[in-house]
Amino acid sequence: MRLVLTINGATYEVDAPPGASLLSVLRDDLGLTGTRFGCGTGQCGSCFVIADGRAVASCLMPARQAAEREITTIEGLAHGDTLHPVQEAFIAEDAMQCGYCTSGMVISAAALLARDSAPDDAAIRDALAGNLCRCGVYGRAIRAVKRAADRGRGRGAAPAMNSSGVEGAKPAMNG
Amino acid sequence: MNVEERIRVEPDGSITAFSGKIEFGQGIRTAFAQLVANELDLPVDRVRVVLGDTEQVPFDFGTFGSHSVAQEAPALRRAAAFARRTLIERAAARLGLPATRLQTRDGTIGDGDGKRVSYADLVREAPLAGAIPDDEPLLPPERWRHLGQPLSRVEARDIVTGRARYTADVRLDGLARGAIARPPTRGARAAAVDDRAARAMPGVIAVVHDGDVVGVVAERDEQARAAADALEIDWEIPKRADAPTQIVPMREDTGIDAALASAALTRTATYTLPSISSASIGPSAAVVDVRPDGASVYAGTHRPFGLRDAVAGRVGLPQDRVRVMPQMSSGTYGRSSAPDVGVEAAVLSKHAHRPVLLQWSRAEEFAYSPSRPEAVLEVTAGLGADGRIVAWRYDEHTNVHTAAGPDPRVAAMTSGRNAVPPYDIPSAHVVLHIEPTPLRTANFRSLAAAENVFAIESFMDELAHASGQDAVAFRLRHVSDPRLRRVMERVADVSRYGEKLAERRGRGFACTLYHGTYVAQVAEVDVSPSGAVRVLRVWCVVDPGLVVNPDGVRNQVEGGIQQSASWTLLEELRHREGRVATTSWDAYPIATFRDAPESITVLVEGDASAPSTGVGEPGAVPTSAAIANAVFAACGARLRDVPLTRERVRKGQPAS
Repeated sequence: MRLVLTINGATYEVDAPPGASLLSVLRDDLGLTGTRFGCGTGQCGSCFVIADGRAVASCLMPARQAAEREITTIEGLAHGDTLHPVQEAFIAEDAMQCGYCTSGMVISAAALLARDSAPDDAAIRDALAGNLCRCGVYGRAIRAVKRAADRGRGRGAAPAMNSSGVEGAKPAMNG
Repeated sequence: MNVEERIRVEPDGSITAFSGKIEFGQGIRTAFAQLVANELDLPVDRVRVVLGDTEQVPFDFGTFGSHSVAQEAPALRRAAAFARRTLIERAAARLGLPATRLQTRDGTIGDGDGKRVSYADLVREAPLAGAIPDDEPLLPPERWRHLGQPLSRVEARDIVTGRARYTADVRLDGLARGAIARPPTRGARAAAVDDRAARAMPGVIAVVHDGDVVGVVAERDEQARAAADALEIDWEIPKRADAPTQIVPMREDTGIDAALASAALTRTATYTLPSISSASIGPSAAVVDVRPDGASVYAGTHRPFGLRDAVAGRVGLPQDRVRVMPQMSSGTYGRSSAPDVGVEAAVLSKHAHRPVLLQWSRAEEFAYSPSRPEAVLEVTAGLGADGRIVAWRYDEHTNVHTAAGPDPRVAAMTSGRNAVPPYDIPSAHVVLHIEPTPLRTANFRSLAAAENVFAIESFMDELAHASGQDAVAFRLRHVSDPRLRRVMERVADVSRYGEKLAERRGRGFACTLYHGTYVAQVAEVDVSPSGAVRVLRVWCVVDPGLVVNPDGVRNQVEGGIQQSASWTLLEELRHREGRVATTSWDAYPIATFRDAPESITVLVEGDASAPSTGVGEPGAVPTSAAIANAVFAACGARLRDVPLTRERVRKGQPAS
């Protein structure tokens, strides 16, 4: 089955088996492995991509359906070396441990902020409820999304990064 | 240990450090980079840390027990200090100046503003070499520039951009996909495999039946899985032969019967915890390329050298012809101590003559992974007329807590971990009963400490309540270790434990001393009339000795608390006759963003004069009891069975 896909603004032509999921085409045909496989049933959020502005499970989306949409994957959020505010905020809060679920969380958060620039705590929890994290960084991720939202509205200072993406001084976050 | 096994100065003057430990998100790569950069007086991003590559790193038994910073950090730090001293000696000879006048600065050595020479120049003719003395002097605290500083993890940028490469992201030339046909019950053997239909399916490269591995290799993942499902297999189900129960006495003071008989007050209780899944978000994966003269293994593993030996043995290669290259891994919390997926991928690759990526499905991950065993804890204690404990009898019934079989040499520190309470008790019996189980079991975060501390800390609350004492004050009467007392008192203080709360809210306290790390926690919960428990806030004070990265410690402890709250309220792996019924997140819910507490406040108050101890596990250990004790405070329901389900809480509430 020949398909033409628009991913991160670029056009790809692929020959995928009928019924192939968008996830399998991303990972196995296009080498975009930043979108992770977690469950194959849309229950964990590891494979989320943005399709026409909404965060969706790429494991459940047939590739032929994706051909009709604008797809953004984790690889497409940054502009060159300039990270998306959500990516910067996740680094600044160190809102990750193993990082396996992080791509999906960042995607959900970016989709949320695109439609709601000032989400409250409940809105963030709802928007990310489909992203499971076993390491337990939920609290940090919520803070990161708020930080990104504040920055998007011009509040709060951008974190200072050095070349390795490591933040220098950081305020105590708890207590 | 020689410095060249640990530290290398590269031609560009950057440093490469080597360790056999593995990063699963604990932040050890960051902590190791900080320590090495600290001793060598360089920016952290000038240090690259190689973890677990069996051809590059010194032998390591495995990454568990929260040992990485505790045991490995001092060795790396000494190696870096020795490297610095060697470089200064070389610089002294090169510059014709006494070593005492020389100082390091950002990868160079010189005397103030005068002549300087770079680390790179000093190793151009001879790389660093030589034995590291055990008493190698370390930089004094006033010269630390990274040690003790908070730092986001060094992999962060790669993680948030999707560039981080996990095992299933490895793409080798000619990479094929594998899938395994699973037996109906554990230990079943394939007596006959009819593969006619499978072989005719698209993309199939090989059908493999080699001992206990039955599977398919195909060009694509979907093809391998479809063909594995199409195999017709006659399974032979062996009769289960249970190993005998192993009884391991851990403490046997004399006079316990008399002490119990003469006690002013005695109490008995039994606590239970179910089997739980490690529930990694990323299912187990391995990429293996077996060739006639050697094999390359890409995997997430707690034991790279153990995996190397297992693969070598299974495919018939000498150990030194197998190279394990650990990749970034989804957190597995101990589960990947078992070499299973790597060995399976190796067998498939051997027969298909292709490199093979095998990633388990979510259903396989739940049903065939090793899990944390069940536990039944029986405890009886007697209090004297003064309200102090005079006798303590504790029987722990559980299963093997490692991926290996029962081993009496490690029973006490695995299945019996933290079975002996950290309290001053004049007469105690603590006995471990390791019973057989039809389930696969493996190391899981904190081994049996989470179970034991749930029972001990719940029971301490029950004893305090029964004798009309404050739960914290009662514990403190039995604690002489000043570091334990300090974290207990601090967390009671910062959480304002004992403060009056709204109706159906309660706070619970619990503490532990886990492998040298002192932890005390207070949880605050809200319990609905229907029995639903919501964890609102958790406070934790932790003393892990010398702290390398305070924010790294906080992140680990917060995560431990969050994960443990999920075990406590939600998790139970259902199984029957060795068959796990759970195959999806539907049947095994874990905590989500909606369940996360409003705040988890972690105060890292390490005793800098004490050696570093681990933080990967201890934060998770007291949480279950803190929550159960909070539930009791909120609604009067004493829950002795985990998980604290809505129904159990509702039934446990006293009739009003």
